[in-house]
Amino acid sequence: MSCNCGENKCSNPDNPEVNGNSRRDFLMTGLTGLAATVALAGCGTGPNPFIPEEKVALTGGKVKLLSVNGEIIEIDKAFLKPVPDMPHLSNAEERHGIAGKKFVMVIDLARCKNLRKCQSACNHMHQVHPGQNWIKVLGMEDADHAAPYWQPTTCMHCDEPPCVKVCPVDATFKRQDGIVLIDSDRCVGCRFCMAACPYSTRVFNWEEPVLTEEVAEQKYSCESSMPQKKGTVGKCDFCPDMTRKGELPHCVSACPNGVFMFGDLNQDTVSNGAETFRFSELIKDKAGYRLMEDLGTKPSVYYLPPVNRNFPYENGLENSKTDDNSYHTK
Amino acid sequence: MKIIKQNILSLLFVFTFLLLPVIKIMAQEDTAAGTPVVKLHYYNNNNSIQYVILESSLKKNKVFTPQKNKSYALFLDQSTPENLIGNILTDNEGKAKVFVPPSLKAAWDAAGTHNFIVKEGEEEIISDYAITKSMLTIDTASEDGVRTITVTAMKWEKNKWIPASDVEMKIGIERQASILSAGTTETYTTDSAGKATVELKRDSLPGDVNGNYTLAARVEDNDLFGNILVEKNVPWGVPTTIDTNFFNIRALWTTRFKTPYWLLFMAYSIVIGIWGTLIYLIVQMVKIAKMGKTP
Amino acid sequence: MGNSAIIPADQITRDLLPQKFGTRGVIWTTILILTCMLGAFAYYRQLRYGLVVTNMRDYVSWGIYISNFVFFVAISLVGSLITAILRLANVHWSTPLTRIAEIIAVSAIVFAALIIIVDMGRPERFLNLALHGRIQSPIMWDVIVISTYFFISLLLLYFPLLPDLKIMIENKEKTSKWLYKLYRFQGSFWKGTKEQFRLSDKAINILCILIIPVAFSIHTVTSWLFATTYRPGWDSTNFGAYFISGAFLVGSGAVVVAMYVFRSAYKLEKYITELHFDRMGKVVVMLSLLYLYFNINEYLIPAFKMKKSEELHLEELFTGEYSKMFWFAIMVGMIIPIFVLIFKAGRKPLPMFIIGSMVVVGAWFKRYLIVTPTLLHPFLPMTNVPESFKHYFPSWEEWAIAAGSMAGVLLVITFFARIYPIIPIQETITEQTEHHENN
Repeated sequence: MSCNCGENKCSNPDNPEVNGNSRRDFLMTGLTGLAATVALAGCGTGPNPFIPEEKVALTGGKVKLLSVNGEIIEIDKAFLKPVPDMPHLSNAEERHGIAGKKFVMVIDLARCKNLRKCQSACNHMHQVHPGQNWIKVLGMEDADHAAPYWQPTTCMHCDEPPCVKVCPVDATFKRQDGIVLIDSDRCVGCRFCMAACPYSTRVFNWEEPVLTEEVAEQKYSCESSMPQKKGTVGKCDFCPDMTRKGELPHCVSACPNGVFMFGDLNQDTVSNGAETFRFSELIKDKAGYRLMEDLGTKPSVYYLPPVNRNFPYENGLENSKTDDNSYHTK
Repeated sequence: MKIIKQNILSLLFVFTFLLLPVIKIMAQEDTAAGTPVVKLHYYNNNNSIQYVILESSLKKNKVFTPQKNKSYALFLDQSTPENLIGNILTDNEGKAKVFVPPSLKAAWDAAGTHNFIVKEGEEEIISDYAITKSMLTIDTASEDGVRTITVTAMKWEKNKWIPASDVEMKIGIERQASILSAGTTETYTTDSAGKATVELKRDSLPGDVNGNYTLAARVEDNDLFGNILVEKNVPWGVPTTIDTNFFNIRALWTTRFKTPYWLLFMAYSIVIGIWGTLIYLIVQMVKIAKMGKTP
Repeated sequence: MGNSAIIPADQITRDLLPQKFGTRGVIWTTILILTCMLGAFAYYRQLRYGLVVTNMRDYVSWGIYISNFVFFVAISLVGSLITAILRLANVHWSTPLTRIAEIIAVSAIVFAALIIIVDMGRPERFLNLALHGRIQSPIMWDVIVISTYFFISLLLLYFPLLPDLKIMIENKEKTSKWLYKLYRFQGSFWKGTKEQFRLSDKAINILCILIIPVAFSIHTVTSWLFATTYRPGWDSTNFGAYFISGAFLVGSGAVVVAMYVFRSAYKLEKYITELHFDRMGKVVVMLSLLYLYFNINEYLIPAFKMKKSEELHLEELFTGEYSKMFWFAIMVGMIIPIFVLIFKAGRKPLPMFIIGSMVVVGAWFKRYLIVTPTLLHPFLPMTNVPESFKHYFPSWEEWAIAAGSMAGVLLVITFFARIYPIIPIQETITEQTEHHENN
């Protein structure tokens, strides 16, 4: 196949046809669309390469800058920030999800030694109540003579979510990108979802959440799950605010052992930041499975069995002693 | 005169002793507050847009906390006012981003390698962050059904582009927050000709509706070149239409706007049947009441 | 009216008209009001500090509020049994008990609804159920059937009350001014004409038929709040029938207790006779056996298989932490009542009262056992949580609110009996006359 078919947009900045096409392609496929915006950079509007222009809240103001080869180009002021602001999303958009995506997570049990960096990063970023966790690392032993292993659990973001089935007010819902979220502005606090979830993944804000001032003043968003609200349910949200920016969820980037891999099933790829795998090959080669398949919940989280382990189980025992026992502030 | 001098000396002596613990305390406070760490990252995207990201944090007990709202000044080559790239203020994550302004065109074009200098107030805290101008290009070929990707890295030295060898990079397909390696290893390194060639091992990888996907080569935090990214669209993927059908079905887990018909039918027929009867009974009640009121 | 001698109509009226509280009545009401106020104070604390004042946590996310809710829904089912089922079966001895059963039903269902609101983390968002209601959720089904059942029970209380209202209006001198106004407001249009009776009887008949499926629904749906989850101890196809049989049993127990209390408080020996206790005793035996049957189904079959997920749960119930409560509930709530009530001497008023109380108490603990132990035996191990999350014993606020809600139920019944005749006057007179004519 000829390489002409694949256009390097930078070398064709004056071909509007190509630009137009690639932009449409981006919109239709949900590819990162870098090519499209880079092309525009040559024409005078500009991108942050990690976030396509279409996804950014543009200010309209322009700033001039110097390119690598000494050309003067113009970009939108929105890109002056390290991470440009995302456009404000309506509740309806947050409930609909990111178009074209179907998020999936793979957790490699052979790499986990109960370091709980995932947990602390998650707790920190979501300001989870002291003592509670959205991610748990369970010491598991499946049978009497089976070998014990460490199993991190997140929300499974099931495709047949039992929690969503029972919600009386659409406060918890499944999005098009596969993520199951909670709208804490809607939740009535009946806790039926907690009873329905077989993975015990949901937590409840039994008292006024402990928030930093900055977060407490923030406008509530289902995507960031912040600020959390008293009397409502919370859980792992697959960090849709991060994935929208093209970044990995906090637990994935926090794990030094690369246990968590996250990606888009439609792209057949998962990544832990350092390594990137083709999802279907990884699941095939390492015999991936899902938790409690017999319940028919169809989780979006896959596990790789703890074979050829990187660490002995005992290495993780130390960290189990640090369970936070301080819940109450009453 | 002598006496006074002696007195001053002894006073100084006493002062020093008095001050020592104070200095000590201050020093302790300093370490207790953590060590500030400032890092620069240079980015070059598609051989065009370039910028520098400054990352400022405090290191304390092996934990890094971002320093918000800290101001720094970034200079090109010399810390003189005319070489100022920009005054910057870190955001909540302790980061700030700066573009090289057009006013520095002459200075930028003058050399292949540039120093970035960071000043905090009057103090120069980074002076040795040097970046060499670079260029990455992706070439693709397809022969006998074998697709290859060749990435060439060049650097600007002595007023010309020369091959850059030993540059480590990722070469692959752009995916959600990652690059899926095109071949079998995670990274590739350029040879003496500045080239890295990869045979595509990812058969039938999903592309967009037309089968396009984006190839990318990315150099991360290279000592000489910083971060470089170059991209190219290729029609090598399997045309993929995203199936969102599952989201449009009527099921028990969908929203109240997508309730299954059988459930709606059951619920409404029961509710209407029973409440219809109850309304009938209320009408009967009104009838009874009317009977009593007309003598 | 049983086998006793014929009582003249005016004496029936005199005996059955509502009476003022005596000293005992005042003390009783005061205690109930104080308990309610304590519950209200506890609820105020809960509103202020959040559900953290309870001892529910992420694993035991439902506690005695929910078991109390199930208990109340269960008790309220008796309204349909005594009033509707026995009536449709042409059983006449139960006539004096209908109003007792119906007011128990109404007040219990009201407090069942209230306790659900108490259990909510955001009670002020209750209207979301109407604004964003999702018919896929069993909670919505529950909301719908409970409000329907409440409405039907209210009508079933009201229609038979109309003739009695007329009697009370006629006996103006025996009532206070504001009560007289209330009676007139509610029933001044009732003249007792043939046509009015015809329409009213027809309405009552329709209600009696209508209430049966609705009553079955409220408790079946309540059982589905549990059975629609995967959890061991709840994941059962037997649950609807199991809950309904238990509900009839506890409701009958409550009626027996109420019969005894009203009988002695208002000197109603002529109207609630030993025959009624005897017959109710037989009903309780039958229901105990039925409930026992479903219990055996519910526990023996999973125990026979001992699936891994059920294993710990069943062991905790049979021999572990909850075994004392479990066997207490089984013995007190079913076995002992059966053995006492199969003997005629056991069906005398006092033993019946004791057994009725035992049935009610046993049933309360049974509901506790249905809700809590299951939540303590999730599929994945309980780790990464504070130690307090792994156990559950209700906090004083929960006890106070539970006690307050029970006091509330009793208070409604007490006030009802103060305002309206607890035994239908008109129907008793009619039955007497019919009985006389038949003789």
